[in-house]
Amino acid sequence: MSGELIEIKGEMTLLSVLRLASADMEVIREGVQHKRDSMPQLFANSPLVVDCSQLGDTCAALDMTVLREVILALGFIPIGIRNITDTCVEQAIQAGWAVLRAGRATGAPTRIIEPLVEGESKQAEPLLNSVKVVDRPLRSGQQVYFPEGSLVILQHTSAGSEILAGGSVHVYGSLRGRVLAGIGGDTSARIFCQKLEAELVAIAGHYRLLDDIDTDLKGSPAMVWLEGEKLRIAPMF
Amino acid sequence: MSRIVVVTSGKGGVGKTTTSAAFATGLAMRGYKTAVIDFDVGLRNLDLIMGCERRVVYDFVNVINNEASLSQALIRDKHVENLHVLPASQTRDKDALTPEGVGRVMDELHELGFDFVVCDSPAGIERGAHMAMYYADDAIVVTNPEVSSVRDSDRILGLLQSKTYRAKQGESVREHLLITRYSPARVAAGEMLGMEDILEILAVPLIGVIPESQSVLQASNSGAPVILDKVSDAGQAYDDFVRRFLGETVPHRFLEVEKKGFFKKLFG
Repeated sequence: MSGELIEIKGEMTLLSVLRLASADMEVIREGVQHKRDSMPQLFANSPLVVDCSQLGDTCAALDMTVLREVILALGFIPIGIRNITDTCVEQAIQAGWAVLRAGRATGAPTRIIEPLVEGESKQAEPLLNSVKVVDRPLRSGQQVYFPEGSLVILQHTSAGSEILAGGSVHVYGSLRGRVLAGIGGDTSARIFCQKLEAELVAIAGHYRLLDDIDTDLKGSPAMVWLEGEKLRIAPMF
Repeated sequence: MSRIVVVTSGKGGVGKTTTSAAFATGLAMRGYKTAVIDFDVGLRNLDLIMGCERRVVYDFVNVINNEASLSQALIRDKHVENLHVLPASQTRDKDALTPEGVGRVMDELHELGFDFVVCDSPAGIERGAHMAMYYADDAIVVTNPEVSSVRDSDRILGLLQSKTYRAKQGESVREHLLITRYSPARVAAGEMLGMEDILEILAVPLIGVIPESQSVLQASNSGAPVILDKVSDAGQAYDDFVRRFLGETVPHRFLEVEKKGFFKKLFG
């Protein structure tokens, strides 16, 4: 056992990033509210980083205190701001923002929230867009490995089989073996199946054994996805 | 070409050899010239079940090694015409089996005019089992109603799709599921997997269900394949299975608990 009571370590954490294309507070409020209402469970109390790289000099028009209040009121937890002009830094710190170093422009697995009104909606470039379809049952001891994209299994998979995909995995039968999606680190990969009886599910290295999973989910159509560091499993219908 | 049928399971003790003997005998009884080959080199059993253990002179490995001709090694069955047994070697191991050697024997059996070649696979997924399934056109996958047997059968089905000659040619081996040692009473009591559960897991067409029966052990000990016992439920179930294999539509029997009542109706 280590004797330290606390520990501070640099770690990468997945965060939602709000990219602003307008400094108009009403536009921001409406846009964020719309996004939140479309997926309320997903975004409730979720930490948010604001990115101002598209604002340029109009950043100065942004009231940092009001921005913080607007975001809080919508149920997010504002934790930091980045890519603001030097003149705004002081105001941001005053308003309680953590000023973050500029991040990479479009890292692959960030959930992007953009104001709807201004600027055309920009989608993150999908890294893995090819699909492989398997039309036979996947038997015990068999493995399908497809790092280039998503896998679709039209039949069942057996206990002792293994599915490995760079992207998402869809199983249109019973899922009984192990299934690993996002093996290249794609945290947006998901697993879908008609009948969840898997031994192990994993996305981007985060795994769970079915033993741990709520038993009433077993045998029902389910979806598995990654929410932050946590693997979530929910019925689909 | 002769039609090559492998009887396989992965797991041991589920009834592969009993099934191979009954199946080959059933085919021969219907007039098809049939050879049954024991691939369990080193653990020879088929000759006992067929009752020809005292007539083994040359064996499968001798033929592969060109130490004897195929016709010297084939043993004519004493119960049924048209049936020949190619016994395994008891003193060798499975490394003696090679794809080339087995392929040559298959070609020769075809030249000798055999309609069916039944390959009795050893347990496991190693060389012996691999060689037994390699040239197969059809596979009879023998499964007992319990989880480990079902999983092993599933594994074998995967190998049939990837490790056989047909699979390598981009074709597929026809798969048939045969459930053996099925006890409807124990299924009803929840002690055994039900037929539906097995079918759900394996998703392979069912070709027969052989009930658990005393007559199987008696038949093995007396060296007469159980299919020759026309009175026993297992013998009749094997006969149904052979007819289904040959394309007849035969309803499944012996799936209900009151099988005794059925016998009373027939023979009582």
